[in-house]
Amino acid sequence: MEPILNRNEYTYYLVGNVDDFTERLGRVVHLGKDKIAVFKTTDGQIYALENKSPGPRGGTIAEGIISGEVLFDPICDWKISLTDGKVLDPDTGQVRTYPVQIHGNEVRVGLLKNEGGLLHE
Amino acid sequence: MVKVQERRHLVLIGNGMAGINTVEQILKLAPSTYRITVFGSEPYPNYNRIQLSYVLEKSKAVEDIILNDWDWYLENGIELHTGTTVTHIDTEQKIVKADNGIKVPYDTLIIATGSNPFMLPVPGADKEGIVGFRDIADCQNMLHAADQYKKAAVIGGGLLGLEAAKGLLKLGMDVTVVHLFEEIMERQLDHTASLMLQAELESQGLKFATGKQTEEFLGDDRVSGIRFTDGTTLDAEFVVMAVGIRPNTALAKKSGIEVNRGILVDDFMRTSVPDIYAVGECNEHRGITYGLVAPLFEQGAILAKYLCGVETKPYEGSVVSTQLKISGVDVFSAGEFMDAEGLSIVRMHDDWRRIYKKVLLRGGRIVGGVLIGDGKESSRLQQWIRTGTVMTEAIHDAIVGQASVETGNTAADLADEEIVCGCNGVTKKHIVDAINEKGLTTVEEIKVATSASRSCGGCRPVVEQILQYVLGDKYDSAAAKQEAICSCTTLSRDEVVTAIKEKGLITSKEVRYALDWDNPEGCSKCRPALNYYLGMIWPAEHVDEKDSRFVNERMHANIQKDGTFGVVPRMYGGVTTPEDLRLIADIADKYNVKLVKVTGGQRLDLLGVKKEDLPKIWKDLGMPSGYAYAKALRTVKTCVGSQFCRFGTKDSMGMGIILEKKFERLDMPAKFKLAVNGCPRNCAESSTKDIGIVGNEGAWEIYVGGNGGIKARLAELLCKVRTDEELLEIVSAFMQYYRETGKYLERTSEWIERMGLKSVTEAVVNDLDNRRALAERMEVALAQVKEPWSEILNNSNLRERMFEEINVSTKQD
Repeated sequence: MEPILNRNEYTYYLVGNVDDFTERLGRVVHLGKDKIAVFKTTDGQIYALENKSPGPRGGTIAEGIISGEVLFDPICDWKISLTDGKVLDPDTGQVRTYPVQIHGNEVRVGLLKNEGGLLHE
Repeated sequence: MVKVQERRHLVLIGNGMAGINTVEQILKLAPSTYRITVFGSEPYPNYNRIQLSYVLEKSKAVEDIILNDWDWYLENGIELHTGTTVTHIDTEQKIVKADNGIKVPYDTLIIATGSNPFMLPVPGADKEGIVGFRDIADCQNMLHAADQYKKAAVIGGGLLGLEAAKGLLKLGMDVTVVHLFEEIMERQLDHTASLMLQAELESQGLKFATGKQTEEFLGDDRVSGIRFTDGTTLDAEFVVMAVGIRPNTALAKKSGIEVNRGILVDDFMRTSVPDIYAVGECNEHRGITYGLVAPLFEQGAILAKYLCGVETKPYEGSVVSTQLKISGVDVFSAGEFMDAEGLSIVRMHDDWRRIYKKVLLRGGRIVGGVLIGDGKESSRLQQWIRTGTVMTEAIHDAIVGQASVETGNTAADLADEEIVCGCNGVTKKHIVDAINEKGLTTVEEIKVATSASRSCGGCRPVVEQILQYVLGDKYDSAAAKQEAICSCTTLSRDEVVTAIKEKGLITSKEVRYALDWDNPEGCSKCRPALNYYLGMIWPAEHVDEKDSRFVNERMHANIQKDGTFGVVPRMYGGVTTPEDLRLIADIADKYNVKLVKVTGGQRLDLLGVKKEDLPKIWKDLGMPSGYAYAKALRTVKTCVGSQFCRFGTKDSMGMGIILEKKFERLDMPAKFKLAVNGCPRNCAESSTKDIGIVGNEGAWEIYVGGNGGIKARLAELLCKVRTDEELLEIVSAFMQYYRETGKYLERTSEWIERMGLKSVTEAVVNDLDNRRALAERMEVALAQVKEPWSEILNNSNLRERMFEEINVSTKQD
């Protein structure tokens, strides 16, 4: 798919249509070398997080259970906020998030330009 | 040579609650002191006589009220003669003689012959269709009469009469209660309470003829009516006499034991003849004969200690209380109930809500009480009356106030010997000892260990107070209550399941909305649990919610720590073919599988499969999913059995394959493992399976509740069956009963400890109707299951969204 350029420090890439994602079921997107778990909430919001469990046993998070804007890690059952990737009480930690843009039916996920996103000077 | 001392021979006449409770206490205190023989006139093992009214109103079957089943007698080495009446006691030779000619010598004799219904000695009382209400046979008579006749009269407006009348009413008869006095239950209720109860019962359809004395029964051979002393008559095709009971003293009297109204006993239940004791309703202690259950347990406890040489205080009489066991009417009465001089009375009378509460105080201490319409505080009120608790603001508020107020814990005031659970005769000390010795922390555990609160549950608040009192700071009120299924709700599993059924909730969203979940989309604990309960309750209607499944169940494969998956195809009964093995080997090569493992469940696991390869591998295999990931039947492990093994007595492989094919794919509360063995050598390890089946010559043994996992537990014998059909039906009923009563994620090993093997056996083996109904519901559930791998293969949309990953290049060409 074509990279879509952005004036900010992110480069946004088209990863699919809104309908390619099922409510409350995560889907893995390989964006360059980044492995990203993309989630659609019941409200239709789409979030992209690094597909890596913050817990001590490692593993992936795309298979977790989604409740509202919270993800239950499938390996360690920690609660992860979809909005900012923060691990919620009583545990602590941070999952990396990626910005998401929805244009019409298109879902685009942003990569930092200096981290594999397209540099276009 | 060591001389073994001969055990003393204890003979018990009367196989009812009083006698058997005494024997139970003796077995606990000194299990090897006595050799025990029991005589009972009825053809049943000991049952709960106070629950006969439930049998009459058909809310319980006879089997449900059995307290000690046949096995109990066997296990405790008790020689039991049922349907046998003792006719004579030779107090000189110390021998009892029974009506069938048996003669048994005794060292110690307990008479527990109970009481008989008092039959009014009026003309015509011997006509057909006039019965008492005392035992199972009477109950069956009444059930039978309700089928044939319409008009019934119950003579006696006391506790027993009202229970019988309500039972007959429920069976569709037109019932009139005839009572000598103007007010019903005049021995337990005051004027106001009696009138309220009568009005309540009238509104339910009972008729009353009060202030009527029976003069004669009318009719030819069979009763057709009653004439009263005032000249009026009442038509009745069936009459139940419930005017009272008389201690059954005939045998004692005939044998030369001193008798007044009852068999005379002292404070240790000793009769006038050495080595002969009398306990329960048949005796008379300090001028009083009792007709209720609590006193007989108290007497039994003291007699048991006395007979075992354990120090005991003397029996000094009992405070009796009465609770009417009629559905829809709360009636409680204990201690003093009538206004009298020297009593202060706290009274609350609400005609609109139809509630009446009265507490009687003497010198500030609670000495009696009556509750109509609201019996919530009855068990605590009873406790306060027993201990003569001083009235406080808090107690006052709890009884007559509107708000529920913490009344403080009065468990400390209870004497050790107080009977807390009247249904099962459990004292405070039993409970305290069980808590201390077994480290119990919840009422549920106490229930399992001691039977307290097992039957009617009325004493549960007191049991909880005792637990709180014993544990002190360690008491966890949250744990002691029924555990909520997750932190989104305060409701327990049972409450949620009941609400789903009663409110007809079909989706988990509806459940969370209707039951006011804190978290509108639930959490990782309740989501899979609700999905399971909904599927269990509505097998045909509920649509499986994939987003509420744990990853393995959603992907139909086992996720590994590196994010790859394990694939385990079915290999029914652990039996395979060279063709299948070749196919599996080829596929392992084709997809570059990292490891092939022979599993503990006798099949093959292909490990290290990429997510997007899963559907392809399933397609190439063309085999059904082995469900190695699911809260469902995993495998049926089998030994070689009679097909090849020299020792095999049964075709274990054949039966294992039948079972695995029948029950595969069905959702269970937790994973479920079976084994079938062809002989007792048990090579397929039945004792660590949820159901382990062992073939014998001519029979299958079914073991249940085994677990070889985190908390190991050996399976226990559920039953033995002769035919394959019975085996299948019982396995089916057991699995369905577990599905219907198990908590999500609760293995059978924990479930069976919670439920009790006895009650499970009753439900899935002995109660044939229930067993058949369970098996039928299982068939309905099985009709819905689908093979998941082919389902995904046939649904491109599902396959794509769940298994295919999206690849986006960041390189610009």
